[in-house]
Amino acid sequence: MPAFSDINPIVLFFASILTSNILLSNFLGTCSFIAISKEWKSSFGLGLAVTLVIGICCAICWTVLQYLVIPLGIEYLSFIIFIIVIAAVVQMLEMVIDRYSPSLYLSLGIFLPLITVNCAVLGAVLFMQIRNYGFLQAVAFGFGAGAGWWLAIMLLAAIRKRIENNPVPAGLKGTGITLIVIGFMAMAFIGFSGMIAVQ
Amino acid sequence: MKRDSTVYVVLFTFFVCAFFVALLAVANELTKDRVEANRRFAAQSAVLDALGIGYAARTDAETIYAERLSVSGEGSDRYYSTAIDGERHLAALVSGPGLWGTIEIMLAMDMDSSRLDGIQVLSQNETPGLGGRIDEQWFKRQFRGELIGPEGISITSGAEAAGTGDADPENSRLDGITGASRTSQAMEAIVNSGIAKLRKLPGGVQ
Amino acid sequence: MSGKYSTIIRDGLWSNNPILFQVLGICSTLAVTNSLRNTFIMTMGVTFSTAFASWNLSLMKDFIPRKVRMIMQVLVISFYVIIVDIILRAYLPEASKQLGPYVGLIITNCILMGRAEAFAAANKPVASFIDGLANGLGYTAILVGIAVVRELLGFGTLLGLRVAPANFVPMTIMIMPPSAFFLVALVAWWAKSLGIRKAAWKQPRQAPSAAR
Repeated sequence: MPAFSDINPIVLFFASILTSNILLSNFLGTCSFIAISKEWKSSFGLGLAVTLVIGICCAICWTVLQYLVIPLGIEYLSFIIFIIVIAAVVQMLEMVIDRYSPSLYLSLGIFLPLITVNCAVLGAVLFMQIRNYGFLQAVAFGFGAGAGWWLAIMLLAAIRKRIENNPVPAGLKGTGITLIVIGFMAMAFIGFSGMIAVQ
Repeated sequence: MKRDSTVYVVLFTFFVCAFFVALLAVANELTKDRVEANRRFAAQSAVLDALGIGYAARTDAETIYAERLSVSGEGSDRYYSTAIDGERHLAALVSGPGLWGTIEIMLAMDMDSSRLDGIQVLSQNETPGLGGRIDEQWFKRQFRGELIGPEGISITSGAEAAGTGDADPENSRLDGITGASRTSQAMEAIVNSGIAKLRKLPGGVQ
Repeated sequence: MSGKYSTIIRDGLWSNNPILFQVLGICSTLAVTNSLRNTFIMTMGVTFSTAFASWNLSLMKDFIPRKVRMIMQVLVISFYVIIVDIILRAYLPEASKQLGPYVGLIITNCILMGRAEAFAAANKPVASFIDGLANGLGYTAILVGIAVVRELLGFGTLLGLRVAPANFVPMTIMIMPPSAFFLVALVAWWAKSLGIRKAAWKQPRQAPSAAR
């Protein structure tokens, strides 16, 4: 077993939401972030789905990594294994939600396939691997990273709604101004740094 | 066979997967020795660099390492000792929590004059460009020859100009990284715990 | 034939540049753009994997069952990204250590999937290879530009060598994440304004017929 870093999972959870937001400080999941954040409602749905998927994937990938990949010595295949786990989790989640909550499926369903290629999911899993987290830390980090992404996309959707009718220069409309807003959000989130001490 | 029949899908997926995995296994096998050599060089050069022992080339590092260093202890208690100009120098691996995960450094100090020889960062997961800068030369260079004060050393971050470092080896104080105060504090704690660890080693004070 | 290839190249490098006009695939690389060297290695990795994955998927396109198309694309892309990772670990161990998880993240770079879906699924292998290469290089050009600005203003260095005068005060914001968003926004603004001006320049010639 590798040496686990001794960071408290609860602290890690909040740190990955606020101080080291996976989107605002690691730029992961920017593509779907920009595309979906036009609407408040879809943002909420996608954020929820991403949070669930990252959390579950981190837990499963951690188990697969510790009990299958490392014992077999096939670390060089870990990227493929992770992406297959992610695709499978997304597929499974889609079926489960479809089966038990058709109304949730209606609001979440269309986003689920998008999540497989959302960098934030694979990113969180790879960070978890490289940082040698223990199981609880991995799960806390996964849900925290997802929740951070969720928070960021909700905030951005709200801001985009407010600036919809503002006189933005023609060339800056759409993507340009959105990126600038994200930049300001990233600056605001830097303000959280140091607030939570990860030991 | 039809392209969407289950048998075809299963067979196709299986053979494509097997093919690519086989190729990757070959690629991995071919580079294995090289990766292993890189890893060994990284480990040995870290000790040499931390101690400030120069070497010209990669092959050189291996011979100098074998000639000059003696390794004692096992596992996390392993330490490296050597004599430079008649003074006893020790180096050991120290780790501690950083902002994002464990930071692992090789710390070397001169046991007789109570000065640091230097550090090498072996693994860290700090934010690239911020905390990750602990692996940059200007930061690591500050440790060389730094006098260890009664409270160990201190790393202050803040107004100092980044990228230069503290030039005074007598003040037991080093420049931290602007924008990464947590990582700087973590480094301070790790280095000080390392100093304590080295002093406790058998023959720490000879 | 050569005319077709030059159109593909122009599309990838400029008129359909993945960053300028689509803002795609910035996720995996933006984080390392505060260092020119790392950016260059990353974007080369992206270019290599996009070109070869497109070529390979185009070769396979007639044999892939519809049901598993997506997973096959991901598999092929992962294969080339792992090759990049293995090469980096064997020949550039330092860079591999610094880039850490970001190399693996090339797999989910939207450009790779995007080109596989939009071009390689309907075109010949060689054309797909060129398309992947051109898109990768278009991507490289913009990100290397951003990295030059960030490293120069943030550290006063280029490729780790000091180029700024001694009294230069580094702008810490350039090292921090927000600056990357601002710089991409500026580039996208510039590109879009150019497009608008071009459209406006074409307008008058069509205007009379519209008025009539």
